[in-house]
Amino acid sequence: MSERLVAEAFVELADTLVDEFDVVDFLHQVTVRCAQLLDVAAAGVLLTDQRGALRVVAASTEETRLLELLQQQTDQGPCPECFHTGRPIAIADLATVTDRWPRFVAAARSAGFASVHALPMRLRTDVIGALNLFDTRPGALTDDTIRLGQALADVATIGLLQARAIRERETLAEQLQTALTSRVIIEQAKGVIAERRQLDMDQSFTLLRGTARTTNRRLSELARAVVDGSETV
Amino acid sequence: MNETRRGRIWTQIGRRSLGTPVTVAHVCAAAVPGVGVDGAGVTVMVSTTVRDTVHATDRVAGELEEWQLTFGQGPCVDAFAEDGPVLIIDLDAPIHLARWPVFTPAALRSGARAVFALPLQVGAIRLGVLDLYRARPGPLSDDQLADALAFADAAGMLLLEGAGGEPPDSAELAWQRDDPTSHHAEVHQATGMILAQLGISAEAAFARLRAYAYANDRRLGNVAADVVGRRLRFDDNRGEEGERS
Repeated sequence: MSERLVAEAFVELADTLVDEFDVVDFLHQVTVRCAQLLDVAAAGVLLTDQRGALRVVAASTEETRLLELLQQQTDQGPCPECFHTGRPIAIADLATVTDRWPRFVAAARSAGFASVHALPMRLRTDVIGALNLFDTRPGALTDDTIRLGQALADVATIGLLQARAIRERETLAEQLQTALTSRVIIEQAKGVIAERRQLDMDQSFTLLRGTARTTNRRLSELARAVVDGSETV
Repeated sequence: MNETRRGRIWTQIGRRSLGTPVTVAHVCAAAVPGVGVDGAGVTVMVSTTVRDTVHATDRVAGELEEWQLTFGQGPCVDAFAEDGPVLIIDLDAPIHLARWPVFTPAALRSGARAVFALPLQVGAIRLGVLDLYRARPGPLSDDQLADALAFADAAGMLLLEGAGGEPPDSAELAWQRDDPTSHHAEVHQATGMILAQLGISAEAAFARLRAYAYANDRRLGNVAADVVGRRLRFDDNRGEEGERS
């Protein structure tokens, strides 16, 4: 991969971390950059709901098949294992782990994926979620690629914390819940737009995000306005 | 959510209701020893602007709700406005006096030192806030926070079900509580689609979706997938929700 692309990605992500940025939008950007720079087919971010399960908060595409695959890992699969152990998980060939996670492997393979990686998102001693990478080709990512992936996972964590200056543990807990709620509001808004415009969920998300960008609004704020009916997209 | 945690929380609530229909008061009563706090209160949004205290377990919890309603400031007000919990481990720290200049001294005088405000909401559907307080400063442990969030989930579910003022149907509640698909992305997407089909609020759309799933004895996530897949619409003129042929 080109060093210029990597540098550009980190500059772009750092630029986003200014006042009033949107956490879900930022995490979406991280996943898009992951897919691009790590040369994998898709990427997603799952965060702890602080009740013992993981929830999807962002994905490189909003295609239903990818979201389903991510949300299947509420408590079983490579991401929960990565989250609980705090260690990266590399599955070079999904065909070899059918006994370990039968439902997840079946779903991932039918979605066309052959390999999966999960990298922990950590803050000091806490693991707060995992970055999930999917590829259509079997094979383990190289050490260099994993290191870059881990750097992107760390950037995702920093972004989450940056949204409100993290003073203490309490603020991390607050921020995690806020991010998960934003994600739900965005799903609701996608539904409203999909129905009104007769679009699929991925197109609805692209339209919502594009409108937020061009009108200089936070993604979750615009999403709420769409659901409340105070604005249309 | 961890199934054992959810089961344990509902068992604790059940011990308070003793077979009668579960109310927010039972959730508050169970949350006090369950989380390890001194008191709990729930403020419900009657409309987007009108708030009402539904239940408080003691004088201090009641006053905390009252100060926030009266002054329009405090952790509960912020939790509601910012879509996330506000966890204050020591209200006596100067930063909180700056944040809520009227509420903070009043709350301290009432006898609260730590306040944990947890919003009751499903995305854009904002139902209210669960406030927990302690007379002594100090954080919730990870486990206590997880339980507090689970009690908030329970209170939120009750408010959704009892939106019409009627106590929720306990069979329907139990059925929903045990549905592992209730957090799926499609459930929220379908809520948005039904909202647009019928021109109703998100809360009403979510209620229609749940009622349909319950009436047809299907998982919420499966019905939602049919709505998202455009195999099921809620605006058919036959007056009933209809499958598309």
